Amino acid sequence: MASEHDEDALPSLGLASSDEDGTLDYAFLAKLSLSASTSAPKIPKRGTKDFEPNSTRTQTSALASSRDAMHTALSVGRVHLPKAHVYAVYDAESCMAYVDRVKGQHFKTMGRDVGDKGGKGSRLWLLPEECLYLLERSTLDVRWPIDEADGGGVGGEGEEGEEQQRLGVPMSLQGAYAAFIGLQAEKGGALTLERYAVYAYLKRAGYTVLRASSWDGPGNVPEDRVVDEQLPARYWGLGLFAEIWKSIFAAKPEDPTERQRLGPLVTPGLYRSYADIYRLLALIPAHDPALPSSHTPTEPPFRVTYNVYKPNAVYKKSAPGPPDFRIAVINARETPVPSLDQLAALLDTTPYDPPWPGAQLYQKVRQGYRNVVLAVVDQGVVSYLRIADAGMERERLYERTGGAFRGKRGGGRGRGRGRGRGR
Amino acid sequence: MANVSVSEPFPIFLVANRYLIHDINVITYIRRKYNTTGVLIGSIPQVPQQNVFMGVPLELMPEEARLLVEKGVAHIVDDVNAHKDGLLLGLSEEERKAYTRMLEKQGLDAARAAQKRAVNRKEQSLQKLAQKNRGTENWNDIPDDMFSGPRKSKSKRKTPSAPMTPTTDEEETLFGSPANSFPTPAVSLPPSVLSHASSSHVKTPEEPLLITPTLSYPPLQLRTPPTTLDTATLPPVPRSYPLFAYLHSKDYFLLPGLRFGCQYTAYPGDPLRFHSHFLVNGMDWDEEINLLDLVGGGRLGTGVKKGYLIGGKEGTGGEVGEGAEDGVRAFCIEWGGM
Repeated sequence: MASEHDEDALPSLGLASSDEDGTLDYAFLAKLSLSASTSAPKIPKRGTKDFEPNSTRTQTSALASSRDAMHTALSVGRVHLPKAHVYAVYDAESCMAYVDRVKGQHFKTMGRDVGDKGGKGSRLWLLPEECLYLLERSTLDVRWPIDEADGGGVGGEGEEGEEQQRLGVPMSLQGAYAAFIGLQAEKGGALTLERYAVYAYLKRAGYTVLRASSWDGPGNVPEDRVVDEQLPARYWGLGLFAEIWKSIFAAKPEDPTERQRLGPLVTPGLYRSYADIYRLLALIPAHDPALPSSHTPTEPPFRVTYNVYKPNAVYKKSAPGPPDFRIAVINARETPVPSLDQLAALLDTTPYDPPWPGAQLYQKVRQGYRNVVLAVVDQGVVSYLRIADAGMERERLYERTGGAFRGKRGGGRGRGRGRGRGR
Repeated sequence: MANVSVSEPFPIFLVANRYLIHDINVITYIRRKYNTTGVLIGSIPQVPQQNVFMGVPLELMPEEARLLVEKGVAHIVDDVNAHKDGLLLGLSEEERKAYTRMLEKQGLDAARAAQKRAVNRKEQSLQKLAQKNRGTENWNDIPDDMFSGPRKSKSKRKTPSAPMTPTTDEEETLFGSPANSFPTPAVSLPPSVLSHASSSHVKTPEEPLLITPTLSYPPLQLRTPPTTLDTATLPPVPRSYPLFAYLHSKDYFLLPGLRFGCQYTAYPGDPLRFHSHFLVNGMDWDEEINLLDLVGGGRLGTGVKKGYLIGGKEGTGGEVGEGAEDGVRAFCIEWGGM
């Protein structure tokens, strides 16, 4: 069978050429038109993949043309037009590069101005991942530094009236990977190929990506001021017995320990509400996200790596504001699935961000009270997982009023239909 | 193009414990000859703001790199030191001059090619417009920007040059010639370059475009690879390597499989044109297997119509002359549907 419906498929990318395995036929890249003068891009119907190789010529020629298309697409080089040429000079000590003449939109969200080096005014310094990304997308021309004593360097661009800059030899793409990732790692930098892959992915998608404070260390965690009303105090992490010893019920301020140890949980008596009964049944301590976090220290792989901002017209480099997403980059081959402690510590470093109280239960639980995105990289392939603290403790079904039970009864009705009780 | 050949042993570049290949010819070659695809991780300059199509460099799994080195067709090059010693500490004066001259020549070629494409596109558009307006002959309909330069009053009387040869397809304007081709710049070329473009002769551009090359190996030199295999410097691989080598020897293409809940996904042919057949997990022969893992894997595989494959090297191995894939047995698990 040529085509298969894949129920576990990754969501469609919208391009007809993609398939569930995520590998793409570069022949379809050719159909994307770039120049403004041509009409809207035509996405062709996809050719289905085959099940297995047979020796037909159709298949062999289709494969050959796909491979040719890929080879051609990937052979295109990187050029810089004289008018739009921006160059940067590599600095081996810091493994960053500086730009003297800044041109273009990209530098509105990238780089940092450091003033007055050599009396020439401020220079824009770019982080290794920023340099590499701009070089890859053919926006920046990075040059190897000149050895001043050598008197070397080649004549750089000469704009009218300005003296020619002496620039080093251009850095190739290969050299950029070696310099910004390899040399940087040797000097103790924390940019790995995995972190760079996530950075480039997000930048290509249009986000603004900054290093988080926990980029290469514990980072600083701002103190949480929790404004929400707190549930009856239940202290997480002190052990079940101690928790029962200290727990207080809002409705009945009595010490329940003796009662729980010896007798039925729901002592015989007159109860006027279901809520009272459920509260007596609640033995297991649960975590309340509204409480201030315990601030257990984070362990190295599970720390926030990047602060990501959605594209924003009023973005200011000096005051970016709170990020829209926090991303922790994990190398799948080196790090196993996180333990609960590690996840809790990671979530504690994110701010309290409750869902809208009027939302449906499922939406609130999905949104969660604190969240973080894990970017898991397996040899170049990145998967994004959003982890949120659901705060189920705050969603007590027995405390919901009125309309809360409508859904349940309706569901019961629907479920009963099949068993002949349709009414 | 796809039949490009590369001299063996070709280099695999080691950068911060990752194995990269930068040369597109090598990438196409190992895909065709050694059923190794790797994962492309770079941006492509012609369409940089998308994540669907990726470009050079290619990241190889350590298993792939080790396999190619063990076969003797590749060798590992420490790229960081090569660049430190070569380009960072400075090339000699002559090397620098030669390299710069080479880049300038490439830049001039690129500028010429870009200009030619711009001219072709303009002719094509004019031709289309002429076809559309056949009969009306209304030159007022031709938009001003079809003509070079901001000459407003006279622009409407310009006639397109005589014989308009049918131009290449729009699809090809993206790529041009295969090797070292350069994209049409999105910004229009400066008027000095295009000023006489509408007439039949084309002025050669004096300004070369500046190039960021892909490879460093014209200025840097590759050292001759060692003839004997030094097992100490082979890439470190996980326990699943024997199964990887075994499936590779059976001509399967193996890609990283974390997104599908396994170590590798095995394709019977090039992933460009075939679906994968197996979700692969390699283990030690005596390793205890969690039953839930088997159930989960089997369900997963059966759900997407693929086989869940586990396997490993039987016995202790270590005999002389034994390849990585010898003694490996593989098993498939799928739901019986009874």
